[in-house]
Amino acid sequence: MIHLNIFYAAAGNIARHNLKSMIVVLCLSAILVPFISALSISEGTKKQSMISVEQGADIYLTMDMYGRNGMIPAALSGEIEKIDGVTEAVPRVIGRIYVEGRLAVLLGLPEKRFASAAGFIDGPPPVRDGIVIGKGLAESLGLRTGSDLSIGVRIFAILEHVPYIQKKVYTVSGIFDAESSIWTSSLILMDIEEAIAMFEMEGFVSDIAVYVQPGHTQQVVESIQKMNSFFRVQTKGTAMTYMERGFNTKNGVFASLYTLAFAVAIPLVLMLSGFGLSERRKEVGILKATGWHTHEVLEMVFYENLVLSLIAASFSYVLSFIWVRLLNGAFISRIFIPGIESMSSFPVPAEFSGMQLFLSFFVSLVLTMSGSIYPAWRTAVIPPAEAVR
Amino acid sequence: MNNSEDRAQSPEHRTQSTEHRIKTEEHITQSHALIRCDGIWKIYNEGKPNEVRALSEVSLSVERGKFVAIHGPSGSGKTTFISIIGSLERPSRGTITIDGKNIAGFSDAALSSLRRRRIGFVFQDYNLIPGLCAWENVSVPLIPEGIAKKQRKERAAGLLKTFGLDGRAEHPPEEMSGGERQRVAIARALVNGPDILILDEPTSNIDKESVSGLTDILNSLKAEGRTIIVSTHQETLSGNADVVYELTKGRITGHKDYNGPNL
Ligand SMILES: Nc1ncnc2c1ncn2[C@@H]1O[C@H](COP(=O)(O)OP(=O)(O)OP(=O)(O)O)[C@@H](O)[C@H]1O
Ligand SMILES: [Mg+2]
Repeated sequence: MIHLNIFYAAAGNIARHNLKSMIVVLCLSAILVPFISALSISEGTKKQSMISVEQGADIYLTMDMYGRNGMIPAALSGEIEKIDGVTEAVPRVIGRIYVEGRLAVLLGLPEKRFASAAGFIDGPPPVRDGIVIGKGLAESLGLRTGSDLSIGVRIFAILEHVPYIQKKVYTVSGIFDAESSIWTSSLILMDIEEAIAMFEMEGFVSDIAVYVQPGHTQQVVESIQKMNSFFRVQTKGTAMTYMERGFNTKNGVFASLYTLAFAVAIPLVLMLSGFGLSERRKEVGILKATGWHTHEVLEMVFYENLVLSLIAASFSYVLSFIWVRLLNGAFISRIFIPGIESMSSFPVPAEFSGMQLFLSFFVSLVLTMSGSIYPAWRTAVIPPAEAVR
Repeated sequence: MNNSEDRAQSPEHRTQSTEHRIKTEEHITQSHALIRCDGIWKIYNEGKPNEVRALSEVSLSVERGKFVAIHGPSGSGKTTFISIIGSLERPSRGTITIDGKNIAGFSDAALSSLRRRRIGFVFQDYNLIPGLCAWENVSVPLIPEGIAKKQRKERAAGLLKTFGLDGRAEHPPEEMSGGERQRVAIARALVNGPDILILDEPTSNIDKESVSGLTDILNSLKAEGRTIIVSTHQETLSGNADVVYELTKGRITGHKDYNGPNL
């Protein structure tokens, strides 16, 4: 009952000092909203990328080209398919292209592989000279099956400092949908022969996607490496690891930037928690004068921070949700999705979780507590006559 | 620290008359003293250029159930002294005992308990909490007692009613007159049922009618057996007092005991 009483008194104080409470909540939110938004976008992007890897092939095969991934002869796919444990070897051409001034990814595949590569495809099977584009891209460019799309293949020349892009017109023969919003907004599928011709890589492909029987990955990798020591092999596992590492680095960079911002923000919040300190000082003095114990005063201050932190965390969570879902993560999404400015618009992937809410609450509590407990304690232990002066 | 001790014990401060008075008082109030102050010093900003000696070698005792007035001009140290008696301030030197226990050595927690159970204090400017209505202000001391809101409100409203504030319970102090605020402050001081009530200059901020109302309140509280200590720079309340101490420049310079042998 004592604790409940003190808790109600604390809640009353927050309402009574509404201006101060509001400023503290707003300040905390200024710190928390980017934090929650970044976390959610990072989580969402990571999840989508993981899905892409998960749904992809077991092994990707390229060739060493001065230490980089280089093109690989197209004919090799037939030989790879003969290896024990391999179910399928699919040659792929991957390249950057320009559509309506934006970047997109072109994926050239044997036509029969379209469906399995891109998930659900709406419309008739693609024809030669036809392309299948992601739903997001189609929506943002206002394309339908049968529409024409001019694709800039590559920079042909630079005239007067302006890149001159070679273009070719294709007909949209189908639209695909996938779990990943990044995919559907940036991917264009094309028949592999057409892609090879477009990128002028006669006889070669970008990589070969190898599908194996469950549990055979290691064995197949070894066989491939025995064939030619210039093969570069990436398995699903290593892809995952790299991806995870990449995201962790990004998160790490973001976290350290954020820590820096925190270091700047903390004195500010401290100052604000001390905002109205003379008023607070007097009230603490009055409480002590009327027989409150120091620990009871501190308990009250703790509850105040608890409630303020809860309010700040929930408020920030809602604001982040609005920022990410309604404003599509304006400004902040580029940290986690490189090149997003030049990509056609798509719903920024985001994952909101209770963990983020809890983390924000925890951060708020730490900040408010560090700003108020010590001054409150200092005030509570001086003689009340002095505190109320 | 050493410096101040030297000063405190230097002969020039222990004048003949003070020593004489201390002895006499000990003789008079030996057995029933509820509160005893012995050689109380209060030096603000000690050792600094802006050092102020607010109290020098103040000694007195208060008997249980008496009405004691501390009378003195502005700046004489009344607030300082009364705060020390009310355990709201620590003396720089000297002992103050309540029921024989030296509270100068009490811990912070022990002082809080003492204030909660034994002492009701009414500040000169009342120090009500703005934004809390009258009954909430009165019931502030009951919050850490774990008393439910309903009972707190009942108790506060009861006290406010006895002070003629029935209609004002829901109003914040900002909407009250000085006299009303004072009665709210007295109600708050009494809500925990203390046996010692201390009021700092209760007559300085209120008009004549309110003073007579206050006198009635204090008399009835005294009749309930409470010990009452007031500070005042006017003669108004001194007339009701059992004992009046004169405080001048931080020293007791006179003492009238209307119930005992006067000095
Ligand atoms: N916190 C303080 N720091 C320094 N000096 C102080 C402090 N509080 C009081 N004093 C000084 O101590 C002396 C006594 O002050 P005190 O407030 O006790 O007087 P008072 O008799 O209550 O006066 P008043 O009738 O005006 O209320 C004064 O000279 C005052 O300036
Ligand atoms: Mg005073």
